[in-house]
Amino acid sequence: MTGGESGTMKPWARYLIGAVAGILLGTGGAIWSVRAGALGSSDTIGPWTTGRDFGTAQASAHTRAVVALRGLLALPATEARYYTAAVDDAGRPLEGRCTYAINGGGLPGRWWSLTLYDRAGYLVANQPGIYSVGSAGLPSSEQAHWTIVASPDRQTGHWLPTGGIDRFELTLRAYLPDDGGKGNFTQAQLPSIVREDCK
Amino acid sequence: MIRRWFGPVLLAALLGAAAWQATLWVTPDALMRLALDRVSNVGGPNSFTHTPLATAASRTIVRPSPDLAYSSCPFDLSKGPLLIDAVPVLAPYWSLSIFDTHTNVALVRNGIKAAHKPFRIAVLASGQSAPAGYEPVRVEGTRGIALIRILIDDRARFPAIDEERRATTCRSVG
Repeated sequence: MTGGESGTMKPWARYLIGAVAGILLGTGGAIWSVRAGALGSSDTIGPWTTGRDFGTAQASAHTRAVVALRGLLALPATEARYYTAAVDDAGRPLEGRCTYAINGGGLPGRWWSLTLYDRAGYLVANQPGIYSVGSAGLPSSEQAHWTIVASPDRQTGHWLPTGGIDRFELTLRAYLPDDGGKGNFTQAQLPSIVREDCK
Repeated sequence: MIRRWFGPVLLAALLGAAAWQATLWVTPDALMRLALDRVSNVGGPNSFTHTPLATAASRTIVRPSPDLAYSSCPFDLSKGPLLIDAVPVLAPYWSLSIFDTHTNVALVRNGIKAAHKPFRIAVLASGQSAPAGYEPVRVEGTRGIALIRILIDDRARFPAIDEERRATTCRSVG
């Protein structure tokens, strides 16, 4: 379009362009924001993100939308805390072709588990059918300090298969938190995620 | 040139903000209704469906926990209240939660809070009342889901727990 044509454009046409562009940008931006948001994107602690108002009337419209898309029917913080990681300690996306050492200790809750999901939020197919590792499955000698290895290749010890998928996410669930869900776990309490090597 | 576009740009900003907010408001209800329809298609409304442990093939809800046995009762209160007779299973974790269509939690009761004893809940829409012997729980709207989670710490125990969890029932009294 030339400057002359723009100058002769009818006012209603300019307003129509503005209205259509605004609606498209607003709708598209909201969808992008929800799809890009990690489960509970309100607080970031190292590689983990979390929120405390899942399932409550106080939850913001954005939190409700993200939880509905990525963790529908999540419990409120008094009952369970959800921490999700899509990156490692260095901020790099978690890749299914890489091996990660996830090191943690005792968590302030009655029971916890670590589950590996694809980016859509579904469990990842793997031959042995291992989808999670939890405190109930750890011997007492490892409760205070444990290592779980996420890898496409079989590992000795506690293995979370990545299935070799492009990107994956980890969700840490801690049920019946000691503080009733009032505060977040600290970075020292949450597991570290260290990339070791990639195929 | 700039003066001619000031109005249209302002309109774009206003409509963009409105569209952003509207999309965020509509998304949870739309996704919840979709999930309710999916669950209802499996076992019908106002009755519990006891699903097997989640695997990579599970697609009913996102982020299922593979450590939990889920039992779900999608409800529709348009014809009357939903009555739940809950019998906690002795497991490291057991809970009953009730969600409305806006994703709000109307009730969460775990086995510890229930002292591992049976209890009765009446899920009510506006204007409905609970029958004698049932604890009233009000929800917004008429649709939602009651969900039981049971921690399976040993998969060998699942068949026995699968039998035990069927003692919990939900029914409409419309």
